[in-house]
Amino acid sequence: MAENFPMATNVKSFFTEIGSLSRFAGRFFKQLFSRPFEFREFLRQCYQMGNKSLLLVGITGFILGLVFTLQSRPTLEEFGASSWIPSMISISIVREIGPVIIALICAGRIGSSIGAELGSMKVTEQIDAMEVSGTNPFKFLVVTRILAATLMLPLLIIFGDFVALIGSALVENIKGQVSFLLYFNQVFDALGFRDLLPATGKSFFFGFAIGLVGCFKGYNSSKGTAGVGRAANSAVVYTSMLLFIIDFIAVFLTELIYG
Amino acid sequence: MKDENTYSSFEKGKPVIKIENLQKQFGDEVVLNNFNLEMFENENLVLMGKSGSGKSVMIKCLVGLMEPDSGRIEVLGKDISRLERTEMDELRAEIGFLFQGSALYDSMTVRENLEFPLRRHTKRMNIENTDELVLEALESVGLTKTIDLMPEELSGGMQRRIALARALILKPKIILYDEPTTGLDPITAKEIIQLMKNIQKKYKTSSLIITHDVDCARVISDRMILLLEGTNYAEGTFKELSTSEDPKIQAFFK
Amino acid sequence: MKNSNPQNLKLGIFVILGIAIFVAAVYFIGNRQNLFGDSSVITSVFKDVNGLQRGNNVRFAGVNVGTVQNIRILNDTSIAVSMRIDDRTMKLVRKNSLATISSDGLVGSMIVNLLPGENDSLASKPLQPGDTIASISKIATADMLTTLSTTNENAALLTADLLKITNSINEGKGTIGVLIKDEEMANNFKQSIEGLRQSTSTISRMVNRVNVILDEVSYKESVAGVLLSDTIAARQIEGIISNLEISALQISDVTTNLQQFSYDIRQGEGALDYILNNPGAVEQLDATLKNIEEATRKFDENMEALQHNILLRGYFKKQARIKAREETQMD
Repeated sequence: MAENFPMATNVKSFFTEIGSLSRFAGRFFKQLFSRPFEFREFLRQCYQMGNKSLLLVGITGFILGLVFTLQSRPTLEEFGASSWIPSMISISIVREIGPVIIALICAGRIGSSIGAELGSMKVTEQIDAMEVSGTNPFKFLVVTRILAATLMLPLLIIFGDFVALIGSALVENIKGQVSFLLYFNQVFDALGFRDLLPATGKSFFFGFAIGLVGCFKGYNSSKGTAGVGRAANSAVVYTSMLLFIIDFIAVFLTELIYG
Repeated sequence: MKDENTYSSFEKGKPVIKIENLQKQFGDEVVLNNFNLEMFENENLVLMGKSGSGKSVMIKCLVGLMEPDSGRIEVLGKDISRLERTEMDELRAEIGFLFQGSALYDSMTVRENLEFPLRRHTKRMNIENTDELVLEALESVGLTKTIDLMPEELSGGMQRRIALARALILKPKIILYDEPTTGLDPITAKEIIQLMKNIQKKYKTSSLIITHDVDCARVISDRMILLLEGTNYAEGTFKELSTSEDPKIQAFFK
Repeated sequence: MKNSNPQNLKLGIFVILGIAIFVAAVYFIGNRQNLFGDSSVITSVFKDVNGLQRGNNVRFAGVNVGTVQNIRILNDTSIAVSMRIDDRTMKLVRKNSLATISSDGLVGSMIVNLLPGENDSLASKPLQPGDTIASISKIATADMLTTLSTTNENAALLTADLLKITNSINEGKGTIGVLIKDEEMANNFKQSIEGLRQSTSTISRMVNRVNVILDEVSYKESVAGVLLSDTIAARQIEGIISNLEISALQISDVTTNLQQFSYDIRQGEGALDYILNNPGAVEQLDATLKNIEEATRKFDENMEALQHNILLRGYFKKQARIKAREETQMD
């Protein structure tokens, strides 16, 4: 089969992958609500994902706001609409660019590190060692990480959005003589709940996807160091793709709800 | 193919592990085929076989990391296939496991590594001072100074000793060694083997040692089982087996 | 986990900060939409809301005092817009106020303006929650200007047609060509002139309507705010309108000339004779058409000025230019 119909095998393995991922997600939810909860490990993971990503997210967000504003200015100035920069930038950052860019950055940082960490733990039998030590490794490693990623991502995205707007305000302040007060006044004038709430809602799903795929790939990593590399790599690739799918669904639902 | 005639005159205690007709296959590949084993109290049993002969699979079935296709495993008088998760965890507290590559947790210090097996059992076993236990275990492997180091800061031999300390921190009745000397240079391997013997005496445990290292088997074994093509091919003391004229048995000692 | 305490502290700071930013954002956005603090709902019914959306601002004397809460279509000519107004403002807005929808800048979103009304009997009473206030529509004016401009374009096209014909006469295309085309040309002439006359009458009708609006502007000072921000603009518009009238009259004159001319052609024994008998005729025709062109152009300029004034209130930078234009017009 495999030699004659490589396409068929690919399709089959694709569905198998989706199936196992769904089972993995189901297992997460099942174990999430059963005792014991590894609270200390959860906090440790929150710290690892949240605080340790802060600098990266901050720098990325700041440059994002800076560059985005610099690039949009000339076109808007041509129309004499440079006073629209705060509202335009803030809406696109809060609604779309902020969450997606920061989620992608986190997929790179958090997703790959989960994939590599769990992958190497699997390969070096550390996961087995946990099991033998009377600790449920799925609870200890997977549940805590997915939950931490789900809760930390929205915070990182809010933080990133905020820093991006500061970057944008800085450009406007220097190039356009717009005070920070006026800038943020216009930002909050332009922003509505339909910008902020759906974006925050979907960022939970972004975090969940990053944690889930990272853990799935790492936990099911194949033997050997190559397997660990593959786990980390495919965690990032699959997560990035999944992020866009989630984003599409989120935008679709938002349109449906707010119309 | 059991060779009952070469059976040793070793004095039997109570059986602690009993494996009957163990069967396990992955896809079409039969890994364990009608495997039988019995291990007694205070005994050092060495299970020898080529790599890929199913030794690691057997030992993983023994602690419930893998499920056999069929067969019966009894540990300390309990049939493990019938155990609930909590009962299994309780039973696992009685079994120390030294993994092939040490399997220390990379993200934790030596202290945290040693505390890890305790965390589930502190209440049940009334452990009040984990620090004391950690220090005691580290003392018995002679590495008290490493307590706040990370595993990556230790050499391979030290890691193996820390892993050993972790395996015996709960003072288990049985210790399972999965290739305790692989990946170590001969001198360090000898040190580890010596350490295993000392611990044996100090903690009075029964040990099941999986290895393909002949030196290791010679030094430590009370009794040996040779594993060939997924089943136990021969059984006896090191002396009996190493002098056997069966070419298949001789192949193990080359 | 020896170092877990400072870690937890940092994590706690991060989490609280993140939540604080989020809550602040929710608060500020909600504040803009008057979700917090006391506010009341009033309603006004429009014929056309011109793309007004929920959440658009409501302004009173240029200050944002609330937002559009809901827009419902009652029937094909009335659309109810309910607005949430800050309670502090409610006391200041009178029952006789008028609501009007306008655009906030060239590409801006729509806004609802609340204006002082003219019904004196209600002027003393402040607005109560749930009240419905009257509305006036500015959109009719915009429509009218569009029609005016279309008419003008038509006039320009017709002039171009006429020019083509005179050019071919001028270039002479041979007397034979003129002779052959004689009948056809006369017909073309007739059609073009008829069209031009229609345009001119439309223009004068439009100008009359604009004049009516302007009258309203000057009589009812209160409604003036809808169209104009102050009286200077009103005077400007008056000037422009009178220019428009002049242009229209000019076009009308020219059309009469042309009619006379075409009549001459028809009465004569064909164009050839006419041209032979009147050597100045072609030149005359030419001059006439140039006049038409000139008139149309001026009309166009005035139209543009008018549109700037009405659609974009506060377009005073062009004031100087407009004045200069007025002066040249007077010459």
